[in-house]
Amino acid sequence: MSRVITITSGKGGVGKTTSTANLGTALAMQGAKVAVVDADIGLRNLDVVMGLENRIVYDLVDVVEGRCRLRQALIKDKHFSDLFLLPAAQTRDKDAVGPEDMIALANQLRTEFDYVLIDSPAGIEGGFRNAIAGADEVLIITTPEVSAVRDADRIIGLVEAAEKGSPQLIINRIKPRMVNRGDMMSTDDVLQILAIDLIGAIPDDETIVTSTNRGEVAVLDRASRAGRAFSDVARRIAGEQVPMPTLEDEQGVFDKLFGMLARRPRGSER
Amino acid sequence: MGVLDGLFRRRERSSDIARERLLTVLVHDRVKLTPELLEQLKAELSAVIARYVPTVDPDTIEVTLFRGELIDHLKAEFPLRRQR
Repeated sequence: MSRVITITSGKGGVGKTTSTANLGTALAMQGAKVAVVDADIGLRNLDVVMGLENRIVYDLVDVVEGRCRLRQALIKDKHFSDLFLLPAAQTRDKDAVGPEDMIALANQLRTEFDYVLIDSPAGIEGGFRNAIAGADEVLIITTPEVSAVRDADRIIGLVEAAEKGSPQLIINRIKPRMVNRGDMMSTDDVLQILAIDLIGAIPDDETIVTSTNRGEVAVLDRASRAGRAFSDVARRIAGEQVPMPTLEDEQGVFDKLFGMLARRPRGSER
Repeated sequence: MGVLDGLFRRRERSSDIARERLLTVLVHDRVKLTPELLEQLKAELSAVIARYVPTVDPDTIEVTLFRGELIDHLKAEFPLRRQR
C-alpha cells in the first residue's frame, strides 16, 4: 500500500524542504521505493538540497502539460537507486497546475512507489492547496517560535477542513540549552498548544547547513544529530515504535546544575 | 523596589511569555473575529441593550475574548449611566 505524504508548514523557512529530502532519503535507506516531489513551483529548491540540480531535464509542469512522460522527468538520486526526485518548474508560477493535476500525478506515482513525499510551498494559498490535494497524510513542520507555531495552527485547521485527517507534527530546530534555561518553548509547550500527535523532535544542528552546502542530506551523516532524529521520524512513518528521546536531557548533569545556578544567559551560547 | 528585589526576583522565563502570547493570539485566530466584525457585534449588542436599558452608551461597550482553562469566553461589558 503506497502512501502519499505532504510536508507543509504555513510559515516559510522552518525546514520543509530539508525535512522532505531527509525523510525521503531515510525511507529509501530502509529499502522503500520513494519519490520526492517539489510542489513549490517557481521556487524550486528540493533539487539543490539533494544535490541533483545538474541533472534536471524535465519538471513537474512538463509532466502535467504532457511535454514528457512522468518517467522522463524523474531524476534518480546519487546514492539510492530506489529514490527519485520530481523537480518543480523554476520558470513558471503556481497557477501552472491545479489540484486535479496534483491528484492525477500523485495517483500515477502511487503505482510505482511505496512513498510519495510532497514538499509544499509556504503559505495558505493555491500552492499549498495543490500540495495537499493528492495527499493521504500531512506532516506539519514548525520551529518552537511564536510565529511558526501560530502559522502551524492555521495550517492544521486548513488540513482538517480539507478532510486529510489530523496531521502529525515535526518540531524542528530545538535548542535544548535554551529550552532548559526557559528561553525556548519546549516540545511539550508546542504540543499542548497545537494538540496534534508528535512524530519527531529535531535538534538544531549545524551539520544541516554544512550538508546542504555540499548537496548531501544529513541522514547520510552518522555523526549528525539532526540526521539521526530524521531517521527516527522515517522509522515512525514506516510504523516502527521508536522512542522519542527528550532532547532537553541530552546535556550533561554539570550543564544542568550550572543552568540552575546561573540566572543570566551565558555570553557565548553554542 | 530595592536593589535586592531586582537581584532576587526570578527573571520571567521568555518561553513562558511566548506561550502566553501564543495562546492569546490563537484564541483570536481560531474565533476568526475580525476588528470590523467586532465593531458590528458591539453596534448590534448596543441596539438590543438600548431597548431595555435606554441609558447605555454605545461608545463605552467593551467586548473581549478570553482564554479560559477549558473553554474560551466572549465577555461584553455595558456600563450604564447613573441617572437621577
